Amino acid sequence: MTPRRLLRRLLALFDARRLDDELDAEIAAHLELAERDARAAGLSPVEARREARRRFGGVEAMKDEHRDTRGVRWLDTVARDARYGAGALRREPTFAAIVIGVLALGIGANAATFTLFSAVLLKPMPFDDPDRIVQVWEAPRPGVSNATTTLDFLDWQRLGTAFEAVAAEDSGAMALETGGDPVRLAAKRVTVDYFRVFATRPALGRFFGEPDGRPGADPVVILSHATWRTFFGASPGVLRERALLDGRPHQIIGVLPAGVFEQDETAVYTPLVFTPEQSSREIHWLTVSARLGPGVTRERARDQLRAIRAAQPEVTPVFKREWTIEVEPLSQLLVDDTLRRTLIVACGAVLLVLLIACANVANLLLARGATRTKELAIRIAIGAGRGRVVAQLVIEGAVLCLLGGAAGLLLAWWIVTAATPALRGLLPPSAVVSLDWRVLLFTLAVTFATVLLSALFPAWHASVRGMTAAAAGLGRGPSAPRAYLRKAIVAAEVAMSVVLLCGALLLAQSLGNLLRIDPGVRLDGLVTMSLDLPARTYPSRERAAQFTEALADGLASAPGVSRASLTTFLPMRWVANGEVLWLPGVERPVRVRFKRVAGDYFDTLDIPLIAGRGITRGDRAGGPPIAVVNQTLAAQIVTAARVPRPVGLTVRLQYVTFGQAVETFAEIVGVIQSERTGNPRVPDPPVLYVPLTQAPDPRLKLIVRSDASPAAALGAVRGVLRAVDPGIPVADVMTMREVHDRTYRGASRPAWTFGMFAAIAILLSTLGLYGVLSQSVAQQRRELAVRLALGAAPADLVRRTVAGALRLVGIGAIAGLGGALAFAPVLRGLLYGVSALDPRVLAAAVAGIVTTGLAAAAFPARRAARVEPALVLRDDA
Amino acid sequence: MSKRDMSEPKAELPHGTLDLLILQTLQTLGSLHGYGIARRIEQLAGTERLSQGAIYPALIRLEQQGWIGTEWGMSETNRRVKIYALTKAGVAQLQLEVQRWRQATALVARFVEAKS
Repeated sequence: MTPRRLLRRLLALFDARRLDDELDAEIAAHLELAERDARAAGLSPVEARREARRRFGGVEAMKDEHRDTRGVRWLDTVARDARYGAGALRREPTFAAIVIGVLALGIGANAATFTLFSAVLLKPMPFDDPDRIVQVWEAPRPGVSNATTTLDFLDWQRLGTAFEAVAAEDSGAMALETGGDPVRLAAKRVTVDYFRVFATRPALGRFFGEPDGRPGADPVVILSHATWRTFFGASPGVLRERALLDGRPHQIIGVLPAGVFEQDETAVYTPLVFTPEQSSREIHWLTVSARLGPGVTRERARDQLRAIRAAQPEVTPVFKREWTIEVEPLSQLLVDDTLRRTLIVACGAVLLVLLIACANVANLLLARGATRTKELAIRIAIGAGRGRVVAQLVIEGAVLCLLGGAAGLLLAWWIVTAATPALRGLLPPSAVVSLDWRVLLFTLAVTFATVLLSALFPAWHASVRGMTAAAAGLGRGPSAPRAYLRKAIVAAEVAMSVVLLCGALLLAQSLGNLLRIDPGVRLDGLVTMSLDLPARTYPSRERAAQFTEALADGLASAPGVSRASLTTFLPMRWVANGEVLWLPGVERPVRVRFKRVAGDYFDTLDIPLIAGRGITRGDRAGGPPIAVVNQTLAAQIVTAARVPRPVGLTVRLQYVTFGQAVETFAEIVGVIQSERTGNPRVPDPPVLYVPLTQAPDPRLKLIVRSDASPAAALGAVRGVLRAVDPGIPVADVMTMREVHDRTYRGASRPAWTFGMFAAIAILLSTLGLYGVLSQSVAQQRRELAVRLALGAAPADLVRRTVAGALRLVGIGAIAGLGGALAFAPVLRGLLYGVSALDPRVLAAAVAGIVTTGLAAAAFPARRAARVEPALVLRDDA
Repeated sequence: MSKRDMSEPKAELPHGTLDLLILQTLQTLGSLHGYGIARRIEQLAGTERLSQGAIYPALIRLEQQGWIGTEWGMSETNRRVKIYALTKAGVAQLQLEVQRWRQATALVARFVEAKS
């Protein structure tokens, strides 16, 4: 066939009515002419008309052939079947609505989950060649990432030829003065190559140049797009302005583009210039990002950095002898393992929901096919091919699936829109959640899969029954089908529901366990906030210590504040690691986490003292150095130093304060009960508490206990702060309860998702079970009536129906438990304090499904008992 | 008793020749309406060989191939009717088909007349 003809044939499909009309006109003209000629040959008008028609041949058959010739037959047929199917569905709106609704639930849940999956794991990051962006870490142990030192970073930058650019960053905060109270902004100090790593261009002005990174250069700042909008009115003239940051005017030289950097909370970027004191190989404080050179693999870059270190063993500190260097892709850092696992589990769960939805639809279509046996038998009897009948039924199913898919897409859009604000904090900042072409393609694929899964088999089955009926003659339909198939499908639905129910119950149990964890601190009546000391006004430890003491003293006597404390890390939050202590007579250092506290930290938080004393306001900058340890560290010390108790022991500490490595001796004066620090799935780390006054830090958290409202407490804190230093803003005001929820909220995420999917699944399988049971009661009416007429008790019939339901549910439940076993390893990493095979949970899941099974059986059973033998037998006679 | 039986040409034109007959008719007589084409073929082939209606599916096929063109005209009974005419491509196609037909008949003739 020439392409031209193919095109014309396709076009003809859309022009069928006009072509039909034209053909009709030609036929009419033809017959008229033929009749005229016949009359001219001497025939009577009636004979002439008959003769004309005879010579013309079958008109309708010719029209069919005309359509076949000019169009594309199978496409035409599909269109006709789809129209027919749509018409059939309009006549059965309830059936159509149920099927479309079930499919919309299944497909919508899948599309929504896939949208998240795609946003987090599939979409490339919005940078040029994102694969080349890496982060470089020191790795004290496999799987542990550590920041690096100034001199190591400079080595990598100078000798790392595998990289196009290497940049370091140090995160903190700066106070922006805008007229009223100063505002605390998240700030990053970055080396001048930083933006070259990400290969972006500024929206306005320029990025840092080499002169900006020289010591003594004029202070400059680059604004995030959000900061530009919020504080500078998105004015293009901003490049002529100076921003007063930490009390010092900074020339604004550039504005970042909107987009990915906007989702980072960092508001201002200033050049990172190293001071002579920071030139060290001991202080690990820099986070390093780099751009690989074209064609360079991560492995090659990593080996090069390792070789650089190996070439100068004399400068590497002793304690780092076993450390190594890792080069990781940026994407790996943006998606943590829990999130990845959550998404994969959610995809699995939602796939089960889809399978259940398909099973339900298949079952509904099977039931409908059974009622249409007569229609199909007639069609087969008058010569419709078996394939044609199957095709017609599949296309009818496909119409339903497409409508379900469209509804599902709407549902997904709604879910994603509604859930996005809640998801913001849980997803990596680079994730752009949107229904894009990937989601459309996925939904289309899922919809076609549902056609195959739910429509193909029932269509084939119905055609078989139609053939049987046609062969048997149309007088009576074939005997009632044994419905094994529909029962098997329901059992499968029950099985999948059991898997989901097990998952949901396990996660709910795990969430309950997490929320019941004793945080080790009191939650009520506490307000927390952050404040940062600007480097310019607090350049030294002494100044910072003075500030800390003044603030702690001021808060102790502030009205409305009953207790107050300063610390470097909030409870239930991650605590930085990297500090070490040496025990007397033990060569191997103990790695600890370091928490600096001032005021009445342990009292404010109600952390019980186990031995000795806590840290109080009496522990001043010039006083004897002391330390307090938590139980975990106390136990380690007892084991390592072979002493009966840690209190009274003098240990050597090594830590960093104000950019300087400090080594000092300190006496352990007390042991406190461990408080929780972040991830509840790992055991409490060893934590060493030292007085903030003796080891000052510019990044502070303030914890205030107040009998008054949080707002009143905040007012009191502001009053004290103004008296001590009016230039320092407070930010991140949160109650301790909010801090707690933030830490444990991550764990509630899979539980909710799973719970929702399980609820949908159980609803669908209950519907499926109900459908099968009511149909089987309807089909057995005769048999039931005979039994009743012969004296069976109605209670027996109820028992039979219920027993049938329980058999199905039982088979499904056993299969489902098998599925739960298979699913267990995936779920294990998400659970807390409950085994993935917890027998109580498995039993509860089975009990739950049996209960819903009984509920589904109740109505059909009642109907079975109420069969009126006289009526039924008379009807059928 | 199925409908299909009625649409088959009765004493059957040789398979595949209808297109050629239509093109040749239009070549010989110039533009014509459907009835005129059918009459001409009947005159030459005999009335029993063709149901007149059978030319219409062939006409639409030839039109879609671009071998014949149509325009609307008036029949002798004053009805709007499609008038068919050979296109340039149709003239070329006709030559090709005639040539093919000659080759085919010559081949068959050689086989039929071959003695041993």
